[in-house]
Amino acid sequence: MGAAATLEVRNLRVELTTRDGISPVIDDLSFSLRAGETLALVGESGCGKSMTALAVMGLLPHPVGRIAGGSIFFDGEDLVAASDRRLRDIRGNDISMIFQEPMTSLNPVYTVGEQIAEVLRRHQGLGRRAAWEHAIELLNAVGIPDPAARVDSYPHQMSGGQRQRVMIAIALACKPKILIADEPTTALDVTVQAQIFDLLRNLQRETGTTILLITHDMGAVCELAERMMVMYAGRKVEEGGVDAVIAAPRHPYTKGLIDCVPHMIDNPTAARPPLVEIPGIVPPLRDFGAGRCLFAARCAERVARCAEARPEDVDFGAGHRAACWQAGAA
Amino acid sequence: MTSREEALLTVRDLRVRFPLKAASLFAPKRYLYAVDGVSFSIARGQTLAIVGESGSGKTTTALAVARLIDAYAGSVNLQELDVLGLDREALRAARRRFQFIFQDPYSSLNPRLRAADIVAEPLPPMAADARQRIVDDLFEAVGLRPEQQRLFPHQFSGGQRQRIGIARAMAPQPDLIICDEPVSALDVAVQAQVLNLLRDLQSGRGLTYLFISHDLGVVQHMCDQIAVMYLGKIVEYADRLSLFQNPLHPYTRALLSAVPRVDPTVRGGDRRLLLQGDPPDPANPPRGCRFAARCPVAETRCHQEPPALRTLRNKQQVACHLVTEDAVSPLG
Repeated sequence: MGAAATLEVRNLRVELTTRDGISPVIDDLSFSLRAGETLALVGESGCGKSMTALAVMGLLPHPVGRIAGGSIFFDGEDLVAASDRRLRDIRGNDISMIFQEPMTSLNPVYTVGEQIAEVLRRHQGLGRRAAWEHAIELLNAVGIPDPAARVDSYPHQMSGGQRQRVMIAIALACKPKILIADEPTTALDVTVQAQIFDLLRNLQRETGTTILLITHDMGAVCELAERMMVMYAGRKVEEGGVDAVIAAPRHPYTKGLIDCVPHMIDNPTAARPPLVEIPGIVPPLRDFGAGRCLFAARCAERVARCAEARPEDVDFGAGHRAACWQAGAA
Repeated sequence: MTSREEALLTVRDLRVRFPLKAASLFAPKRYLYAVDGVSFSIARGQTLAIVGESGSGKTTTALAVARLIDAYAGSVNLQELDVLGLDREALRAARRRFQFIFQDPYSSLNPRLRAADIVAEPLPPMAADARQRIVDDLFEAVGLRPEQQRLFPHQFSGGQRQRIGIARAMAPQPDLIICDEPVSALDVAVQAQVLNLLRDLQSGRGLTYLFISHDLGVVQHMCDQIAVMYLGKIVEYADRLSLFQNPLHPYTRALLSAVPRVDPTVRGGDRRLLLQGDPPDPANPPRGCRFAARCPVAETRCHQEPPALRTLRNKQQVACHLVTEDAVSPLG
């Protein structure tokens, strides 16, 4: 592997306690995030994408969720063993996160300037005036027009796109090594989405921030990421370079996820064949962790073995991996 | 565009406004013109999509067509029926002719009713066994099992709930079904199931759809005709192939170019016509073309005179001073 891994997740197991018992919502997950890259984490809701992010951030819902095994190395330090105090220090300073809905993640009773400056004072130890000035610079960097005036605005006075820019400014305030972006453009209009994609790409080019992008949108994956990892029912089913995976997915779930969405094309024809369907839905939590392929019930290519044993994660070359008994047959 | 005779639905110069809070008791009344003179028509068995970003007025248009909110001007004709002219009683009787499928399958089904009763709700009074036959048929048509008729909404997944919503909309055999973002609340894998169902039902039963969506991939897959709205007005109106192959209005161009392609070889940047800023305040729209402030090719005239929606030689309709009669966009 070329660049060093900033984040190395090994055999991570996260358990959630529900009425039905204990379920592994993350089940033996291993991946690494290399410095400066963008890795996209893809899957339907309930597949463990956001749970992975929360585990990395040390923000699992307490006491329902807990890390039951494995390790998360950040620059060589195991975050699973780290104290709450140390994790608080890392969050915001080294790893920060932006969320899907910028309205609910900003505090409505403080101006955006106060919210950015607070982060700078707390994590960077800046004085009041220095923090304020830096807040204006950050707003400028994320493309808010007239930042010296907008710094006094409240979140409700801004549009959705501007609020997401403010969220990005807060997340980048302490120059984090890793930015976790959880569906950062899902709630935005398409023209604003395009602006945010460009902003994230430019910021990454300038600062070298590593981005973990969580999304269900293959368009966003193609826009931003170099590598992608597909999750299903708490497990990694496929991983590889975006170009390779999109062009020739190995796992039937990945293939289904790409084909089931009507992607806009520039030269449509009169023919409109039906969309490929992935029948059924994600299995219930109580089935997570079973010793078989959890996708088999929805899979057209299943064979007897799929119901008997969990598929192994196999490398097909150039870091393109898939966990499917039939992946090698193609 | 469809000629008047064969049109099932004809909307002419539809206008909807919302009163704004007055600055003082004696200040003149101000309005937000959410839909500002919109005209279109749909032929039987076809799908017209209205696309636009939030605040463009697409949902308000759909609600006004179904008289779920009031228009203050314009006309809506469902064949011979003058929808906006109906009194309460007549409207109730006419409701079965245009049904709605809502975005959120969680809040649009009554949680206290069993699935069969939800689906049967819009049916006129009839004998129990006739009613049951219709419900059986609808459950089968939308891919639900007969025994699921007894369940309550919370016992269904999101996709199944949307199927119930679709069965309910089809129950009174309406002429028109208005679909307002019917799949945007669903998971990607489930979206395909619902979109395929909507198209199968359309070809099998000759349904006509007014389809509201912000998702251009979905629209490209579903529609026959497409109207692009910006700040309360239609800026471009064309058939599916013309619009996607030769978008003329600079806003349509920007909108289409902003959609991420699922093709890593055409990543970002160069192909994109990036719009700066946000749409203007709809309560205070600019005097001329509403898109002029964000338009890369706007001229003085664009800031002064609002362009009318005009029909070009190739039948494409566009509201832009700079598009030629031969359908050449100012962006080349």
